[in-house]
Amino acid sequence: MVKRGLAHLALVVLIAGFFVIDTAEAQQLAKEQILSIAFDAGDVGTLDPHRAASTVDRATVDMIFNGLVRYPPGEQVKVEPDLASSWTVSRDKKVWTFTLRKGVFFHPYAGNPTGYELTAEDVVYSLKRAADPKRSSYAGEYGGMTFEALDPSTVRITLDKPMSETLFLAKVASYAGGFIVSKKVLEEKGDEWFKTQPVGTGPFMFETYEPRQKTVLAANARYFRGAPILKQVVVRYMPSVSSREFGLQTGELQIIEGLKEEKWAEKVATFPDVRVRNFGPCETQMLYFTMTQKPFDDVRVRKAVSYAISREEVAAFMGKSLAVPIYAAALAPPAPGALTKEEALKAGVVYENNLAEARKLLAEAGYPNGFKTEVIISEMESSYRKPMIAIQAQLKKVGIDMALKVVDHSSFHTLIRKDASPIVYYAAWRPNVDVFLTRFYHSASTVVTGKNPDTNFSHYASVDELIEKARWELDADKQNAMWKEAQIRILRDVAAVPIIRLLYNFPAKSYVDIGHPLQWSWQTYSPQITEKTRILAR
Amino acid sequence: MSSYVLRRVLQSIPILIVVLTLVFVVVRILPGDPAIAALGDYASKEAVEALREQMGLNTPLWLQYLRFLGDLCRGNLGTSIITGFPVGKQLVKVLPYTLELTFSSILFGFLFGIPLAIPAAVRRNSFIDYFNRVFSLMGLSIPAFYLGILLMLVFSIKLRLFPVVGGGDLVSLSSTLRHLFLPALSLGLIMTAYVTRMSRSSLLNILREDYVRTARSKGISERVILLKHALRNALIPIVALGGVYAVVLIGSSVMTEIVFSRPGLGSLMVGAIKQRDYTTLQSVMVFYSVVVVILNLMIDLIYGWIDPRIQYR
Repeated sequence: MVKRGLAHLALVVLIAGFFVIDTAEAQQLAKEQILSIAFDAGDVGTLDPHRAASTVDRATVDMIFNGLVRYPPGEQVKVEPDLASSWTVSRDKKVWTFTLRKGVFFHPYAGNPTGYELTAEDVVYSLKRAADPKRSSYAGEYGGMTFEALDPSTVRITLDKPMSETLFLAKVASYAGGFIVSKKVLEEKGDEWFKTQPVGTGPFMFETYEPRQKTVLAANARYFRGAPILKQVVVRYMPSVSSREFGLQTGELQIIEGLKEEKWAEKVATFPDVRVRNFGPCETQMLYFTMTQKPFDDVRVRKAVSYAISREEVAAFMGKSLAVPIYAAALAPPAPGALTKEEALKAGVVYENNLAEARKLLAEAGYPNGFKTEVIISEMESSYRKPMIAIQAQLKKVGIDMALKVVDHSSFHTLIRKDASPIVYYAAWRPNVDVFLTRFYHSASTVVTGKNPDTNFSHYASVDELIEKARWELDADKQNAMWKEAQIRILRDVAAVPIIRLLYNFPAKSYVDIGHPLQWSWQTYSPQITEKTRILAR
Repeated sequence: MSSYVLRRVLQSIPILIVVLTLVFVVVRILPGDPAIAALGDYASKEAVEALREQMGLNTPLWLQYLRFLGDLCRGNLGTSIITGFPVGKQLVKVLPYTLELTFSSILFGFLFGIPLAIPAAVRRNSFIDYFNRVFSLMGLSIPAFYLGILLMLVFSIKLRLFPVVGGGDLVSLSSTLRHLFLPALSLGLIMTAYVTRMSRSSLLNILREDYVRTARSKGISERVILLKHALRNALIPIVALGGVYAVVLIGSSVMTEIVFSRPGLGSLMVGAIKQRDYTTLQSVMVFYSVVVVILNLMIDLIYGWIDPRIQYR
């Protein structure tokens, strides 16, 4: 009896002990203000903002750099000043003049322990660099632009052709080629050095990098919006999801990149002190037909496949809290110019799940018993393999026997650009409908045969003119109408089948205050960490 | 002895060249493109081409191969084509973590494996023998990463005793040990299983030998027979296979490092495969091959130390 009592007492003390440790850890974290965030990545790719592409790289450079303008963190509906305090545009929308904010300093770096003040020279240098295909991945977006420094705080950008505000400001926003880098550092140290030792003006500055482990960023006390509350941000590269999960549970990590799967999110939500928040707009997943290959050269076959697919079922398979069916051929609402379900229904391009219709079309096309096909798909679970497994089962019902050849993600990217797969299931996000349409449906972007081969897997070529006309349209309503018209044509020709968009999922400790309403995150695929992000004391 | 070592070293050169060539070719047969892997799907074809040029991927394969061999001969492991970070520097940074993990698990395996095997061999078919056999079978069948996850669940999530992220701060002993314990335990338990199984069968064979019977008839105590006469002879195959298992262990450590998010050769290699970082991957593989060759040489030398009957010629 006494023994049992003692055992119980020991258990209580033990549990209390853990509780005390837990609370003490949280208090310590709040005191230290060190945030650890882990991504599904083996290593950094590059911290050069004009090259950064992966989720983790984008998230990191977003903390280090600024643009002339920015979308407010977490909302991203309208544009607001960032490094530029104001701007004007000429009546013909060709000349944009930006006035720079005073007192913005670059981070200190080896050889310049205090940093230096940003000038128009840095901005011009950055934008010219963004326009150089040898030094930037986004050069194509800066063609036909001239950049000049009128005085140390004024930058003028002159366009060959006028461009709408929606399209132009996106190019100088704090995203991709719009990030402003330090001219002095790049000239002194070179591009190679910059990859792992970036110098910017953002709330956090680069501190250390340990290959395949972590990058540590420190607070920039001179940040122009005020010193960040967090003292340090540790970006960890952790490809194993169970390790990230465990790290979140033990409190060693405060935010982790999650799986885009409902079951997983539900499980993680039951962990003590953990909050799961889904946010968008996320990637849109679509199915593209290689229209030059049999049997998909026949529009009846493509239509049959569309009728055989139930995007609602795919969404349910992925989990309704994360996956939403889509009907637009480029991005998804609320992106301006993306086709809504109502508009698609009205235009008769939804092809709602109808097996009888699918069978009828297949018979008409000469495949009454269906056919066999082999499709290459990436190993990546939630963006590629899993939705495709759902589609595979749906197509089986109309006799289409689609074998899936699973390859690693890197191989997938190479193979689909060689026309190696008759159907390409692809998950993508692009900054606006113009970019999406251009890269997925303009004939110049056709894989293998295009003038500038990119991601037009369908070999589609019927909306080139409309895409170009819309690009130079200054009236936003007219521009949106043209973009929608292009999508209706694409869907009428069934070059692609829009399937779902999948929300991002980054579980975090409940004592982390992101510092902004996290609804949308366009320029990073993760919650943006800003000067206002903090760890709350409990 | 020294001429033997020299000869063995020379013999390993052709082996290494074959391995290097295989590595060089296999790495490039993988269909992924490092430039696309680095730039992501958003980059334009033009940018991808420019980066391929910068990475030196457009130079003819034979020239890349010659450069690779030339660099290696000069002791230059190259720089990562992705991050531009020198591979040698990366290796130096992660090597202590892999070494501490491998050595501690081998040590763990021998420290626990041999004492477990002795009673099992002496009392064959007893309870302890059955227990040992079941234990080693489990150890041989369970993948290290799975065991690692189980250990994390118990010791880190439930009991909150050990951290699960990273390899700790090498400057601080307590941090290093706290981070090392679970991964070393997961590999060490598997190593223990190997060692127990081998030691048991090796001891069983030795205990049937004539000289053991002679020793017994001379009235020497069982303890002395076991520890002095039998065990030392039984150690020869244990050391031999121990070396083989050490090589296996280096392989298993890859997944253990990933699961525990530890820095190390394994995580370096997996990251490089994902990114198609040819130079890093090549150099890490070269390093692995050199380690395996050295390990085998060391095993051969240890033989002689344990068994003076073996002579090196």
